[in-house]
Amino acid sequence: MVKKKCVAMLLAGGQGSRLHSLTTNIAKPAVPFGGKYRIIDFTLSNCTNSGIDTVGVLTQYQPLVLNTYIGIGSAWDLDRRNGGVTVLPPYTESTGVKWYTGTANAIYQNMNYLEQYNPEYVLILSGDHIYKMDYSKMLDYHIQNEADATISVVEVPWDEASRFGIMNTNSELEILEFDEKPKNPKNNLASMGIYIFNWSQLKKYLDVDNINTESTHDFGKDLIPLFLKENKRLIAYPFQGYWKDVGTVKSLWEANMDLLEDNPGLNLFDHSWRIYSRNPNQPPQYLSVQAVVKESLINEGCYIEGTVHHSVIFQGVEIKEGASLHQAVVLPDAVIGKNATVERAIIPEGIIIPDGITIKPEEGSDEIILVTNEMIEQLRKDVTA
Amino acid sequence: MSRLLGVIDAATSVKGLQDLSLNRSVASIPFAGRYRFIDFILSNMVNSGVESVAIFPRHQYRSLMDHIGSGKNWDLDRKRDGLFFFPPYFEPNENSNVGSFDRLEQHLDFFERSHQDYILIANSYTIASIDLNEALAEHLIQDNDITEITTSSRSLEMYILKKSLLIELIQNRKNSQFISISDVATQPLHHYKIGGYEHHGYAAVMDSIDAYFKHSMDLLDHSIWSQLFSTDRPVFTKVKDEPPTRYSAESVVTNSMVANGGIIHGRVDSSIVSRAVKIGNHSVVKNCIVMQKSQIGENCHLEYVILDKDVRIQDGVTLKGTSDKPLVLRKGAVREMAVSK
Repeated sequence: MVKKKCVAMLLAGGQGSRLHSLTTNIAKPAVPFGGKYRIIDFTLSNCTNSGIDTVGVLTQYQPLVLNTYIGIGSAWDLDRRNGGVTVLPPYTESTGVKWYTGTANAIYQNMNYLEQYNPEYVLILSGDHIYKMDYSKMLDYHIQNEADATISVVEVPWDEASRFGIMNTNSELEILEFDEKPKNPKNNLASMGIYIFNWSQLKKYLDVDNINTESTHDFGKDLIPLFLKENKRLIAYPFQGYWKDVGTVKSLWEANMDLLEDNPGLNLFDHSWRIYSRNPNQPPQYLSVQAVVKESLINEGCYIEGTVHHSVIFQGVEIKEGASLHQAVVLPDAVIGKNATVERAIIPEGIIIPDGITIKPEEGSDEIILVTNEMIEQLRKDVTA
Repeated sequence: MSRLLGVIDAATSVKGLQDLSLNRSVASIPFAGRYRFIDFILSNMVNSGVESVAIFPRHQYRSLMDHIGSGKNWDLDRKRDGLFFFPPYFEPNENSNVGSFDRLEQHLDFFERSHQDYILIANSYTIASIDLNEALAEHLIQDNDITEITTSSRSLEMYILKKSLLIELIQNRKNSQFISISDVATQPLHHYKIGGYEHHGYAAVMDSIDAYFKHSMDLLDHSIWSQLFSTDRPVFTKVKDEPPTRYSAESVVTNSMVANGGIIHGRVDSSIVSRAVKIGNHSVVKNCIVMQKSQIGENCHLEYVILDKDVRIQDGVTLKGTSDKPLVLRKGAVREMAVSK
């Protein structure tokens, strides 16, 4: 196999339990976002746009949708003769089935995959975040700084710093300390879960970590502290731009709403950094004579007869006459019935909102409703009662 | 395995569509916001299980080749069968209609080699959703030599015949003086049995700007839209990775079909808007067809205008055609406001 300079390993096994019913049947990276994408599209497109053509995708939780979605990677131009995308699920060995017990363990178990390409550098990514980033610049930075590991960091507001893994650095951006969710943060540079390692070093320390019975085999909690203990050179790579962890219903909703701003932090219309996705191949959207659509993103295949304000509508959605949406995110193939009203809500794929039903948070509440079939059943009973 | 071999004659020229086919073949004229004419017949073939499709283009086939590529978007990038592209070795002299024998003869070995025993030969500019298996079944039941697919007795320029008969017609053309399949189907004096298969759904033959405009507007009728784009018989096309379309706070869009990647600020009514189109603030676009990547500035007023790809309308321009004679702006055209003194 031809040697590769840099191979990406994309951790996509996350359950995303705080997304509730959105992740009952799919892993978090497969959750729909932005009117036509899935979360993982951003990381995969970043790889392609950064010239990284070899990507291992590590799956574990509910992989069916994700596996089918990724396929042979052609949507992201990752169907390559040498390299391309490879889905790496946990596997059985003669000694038994080995689940991925931590992020570092997932890489450890796929050393064979990396050995095939014998790369100089390994880029560790997470499939949970929405952002656009040129990894080739980070790699140049890593090489210029002669680092053993480079960790991408983003400035977060000080009052939120205790929710993140914080990198304490000196003025040269050398990492001195890693604080996982510190009560009294000393810095506001949060780890984005993006690491570049020299493969020879990473291999060595994965072996060390693997035999440590105290370890949870996690990059943030175990590997980075181990590198620091061994006085390795760890450098922070400051990232500027839009970056969002969409781990909760609220943050997923907010990230969708962010796209509707006048000059959104995340520009989906930039032809020089396209976000690729598997195209649903549906006809153009139709807006009827009664339709009113403002401040919204609407995808192919929608049929709109109602009113849509400040909302994100995925492909194949039907919005019937008299229906009204405000600050809603409607996932593929949902139907909003006649005269139904939906506000500040996420409507999952394929859900049918019956005619005349109203779904909105209580006055003054900043809650975001994740609509479920049970909820609709209840509302329907209330209406008929 | 399908018994039908699909043949698309993308070489017939259509005089009435000249404004839209100056730089491209008729087969690749954009239609319905994100498609090209040829997508409809290609998708009909694929949806009917046809596994081998031959395309015969004439000169200026670059845009067509760029669109079709390996056939991947139609699932026709196959090891066995799949998509075949047969540019002419030389342009036949006579300007014939569908199924020119002089043209097909140049690739006769392909027909001889193909394992399918029936051939469907079609033009590239008929827009319809047709189950070709039903047409083949009808051909077999009626025991025709040639079956012509029609709608309300009008020819859709699609013909089914046995492969062996096609080869025979091609080889005997000097004696018979028949120049094409459609020639055989329309000439009365011969012993071949010609029958018809009536397609009852929507069908449009795009042979003039008038027809192009009228049938584009047909798409705004939901019953026609759903016939052409049913979910179990999708129309495939070359995919572009455009984001969803963005509507601003000022946008007012009614009775229109809008493709992805658009940024809409102005008013759009009764129009077809293709991929990645920009429409500026306070502009009015009514009864128009706007093709891919065209940009309309601010304070413009357009009615009954067909804007080909990459057309730019500068701020403040007013352009009006009529329903009988829509104005056509050619690809890449720029329109500025007339300077008044």
